[in-house]
Amino acid sequence: MPADSRSFNDLELPRLFRLAPNLFAASFHLMKLLPARYMLDQAERDGRLLPGGTICETTSGTFGLALAMLAAVRGYRLILVSDPAIDEKLKNRLRELGATVDIVEKPSELGGFQQARLDRLAKAMSENPGCFCPSQYTNEDNRRAYGAVSEWIASRLGTIDCLVGTVGSGGSMSGTAHFLRYLNPDLTVIGVDTPNSVIFGQQDGKRLLRGLGNSLMPKNVDHTQFDEVHWVDAPAAFLATRKLHQRHGLFQGGTSGAAWLVADWWAKQNPGKTVVTFFPDEGHRYVETIYDDDWLKNLANWTGSLPEEPIGVDRPQDGCSEWSYFHWRRRSYDDVMRSILQARAA
Amino acid sequence: MAHCGEILQGVFFDKTGHLHRGLITLPCPSLSTTADFEPAGEKISVFPPSKTKAAAAARRTLAHLGLDGYGGKLTLSSNIPIGLGMGSSTSDIVSTINAVANAFRKRLSPETVAKLSVESEVASDSIMFTETIVLFAQREGVVLEHVGAQLPPLSIVCVNTAPAQTVDTVSFPPARYTAWEMEAFRSLLAMARKAILTGDASLIGRVASASARINQRFLPKPMFSEIERIAADTGAVGIQVAHSGTVAGLMFDAQNPNVEELVHRASGALAKIDMPPFMQFLTREAEYRYAC
Repeated sequence: MPADSRSFNDLELPRLFRLAPNLFAASFHLMKLLPARYMLDQAERDGRLLPGGTICETTSGTFGLALAMLAAVRGYRLILVSDPAIDEKLKNRLRELGATVDIVEKPSELGGFQQARLDRLAKAMSENPGCFCPSQYTNEDNRRAYGAVSEWIASRLGTIDCLVGTVGSGGSMSGTAHFLRYLNPDLTVIGVDTPNSVIFGQQDGKRLLRGLGNSLMPKNVDHTQFDEVHWVDAPAAFLATRKLHQRHGLFQGGTSGAAWLVADWWAKQNPGKTVVTFFPDEGHRYVETIYDDDWLKNLANWTGSLPEEPIGVDRPQDGCSEWSYFHWRRRSYDDVMRSILQARAA
Repeated sequence: MAHCGEILQGVFFDKTGHLHRGLITLPCPSLSTTADFEPAGEKISVFPPSKTKAAAAARRTLAHLGLDGYGGKLTLSSNIPIGLGMGSSTSDIVSTINAVANAFRKRLSPETVAKLSVESEVASDSIMFTETIVLFAQREGVVLEHVGAQLPPLSIVCVNTAPAQTVDTVSFPPARYTAWEMEAFRSLLAMARKAILTGDASLIGRVASASARINQRFLPKPMFSEIERIAADTGAVGIQVAHSGTVAGLMFDAQNPNVEELVHRASGALAKIDMPPFMQFLTREAEYRYAC
């Protein structure tokens, strides 16, 4: 039987850790539970998702896990479209939760695996009339869900000066920043991306660091919220993840390491300002990778040492393979690209 | 008692996920209504005769007390300006309800007064709650939440942003908030709780300013950005407004040792934009928290 619809309440919100006099971490068990629950609630409310209905989504990450947990508890059928890159253990857990995991075996000739997955999702949706697709990259409810996180920050810390977090779908950072700025229009917002992600203007390419960045531009990224953007490479993020564990005892995933690296640097540069950073998931899934010394040593570009500071760049395209940053200044994507073209022409 | 508008007004989710319109009033102890009720005969006469809502509230209170056959003479005197959103109407009604009950040696709980008040005029503020700060459902007449004991001590500099205009609170259409605003009020209320719990004037100022900015979509205050600039320049902790009126106030931390100097500078700057303050008041004595 479907259990209490609020059964994951205590897992949705983060726990608070003070990592420096002016630096706090909001650490989530599984950040995607909050937007997934909120999207299902809204769909149930306006009848887009009916009791016993079917949910279809394309994902190979933690959003799928959150949906599977909720679908199991609420009695929905869940079809998740993914590709061969999906983590084997995650796939097993999704199936254990009753989800149908549909693996696309071949990339499509145009648009690779991403397009092949979208094609398969369209097919699944046409085969299941009346099904609900949460669409985390375009559904505004993804961003709106973070009103609860802004509320949590206000109740725990009052007002803060700076928010730092990784950007993947755009939901957590664009949403939380939007809500915090009602109470503090001067809030500094720093997005953490990774090289070869298109979100803040780099060329698409292969990325080793997962859970942030994107090959397609998600509509849920509200570029006008960001004051500063950092691109953190995989080796730096992994080393930071290990250092976070060693120094603070917090066992987190790679995106948490990337966020902490940037937040810790910014907090040291601005000792009078209160900084909050998000840790999106825990470390258990990364025991055989980020937490394995031999695996790390075999990485390309592995130096074994963490840069002390980022390299400032004049345009996103300059974001080299190392940790770098750019003053985005709350502009739209088009405005930033236009100003770069103009600067080049001059 | 009057009020100077609200610290916060919006919509709020209850534990079952339902939305309620609600507000946190900013009381203004220096303005008030006194009501006197002398039981006599069966009819109710009211002075001044224009206070018909108060007369209806007296009738309703008598009915509530099981005294349907009774009447009397109701006399009101008030120094609260009308039509600015300072609660002149609710103040009349609440003092009337208390005066009628008092005439028959009855005491009504603030919850009962709130219910009778809303029945008498559709929407009411929460000035009947004098002991605690409440989040009050102004159209339902019920307390949504007891937010805390008292507001941090504030010094308020009041202006009338549109002297030529009066707003009828009751007929003013209720705001239609966006889905984003509905979610935003969670954070505003959370910060209000934190401010009241910790006695932090700057946090309560942020809440009031955020609520005032949201309300600009519904009942815009003229010269709002100029008032915001003056608030920033003079060290005000925030701006509060009457969400269904024309009054606005610059809020200063009454525990700031320089508060009088700041208030003086703000008053001068407001006069320069043709918005001279018509009143200044303390929400409570700053020393109070040390005295008790």
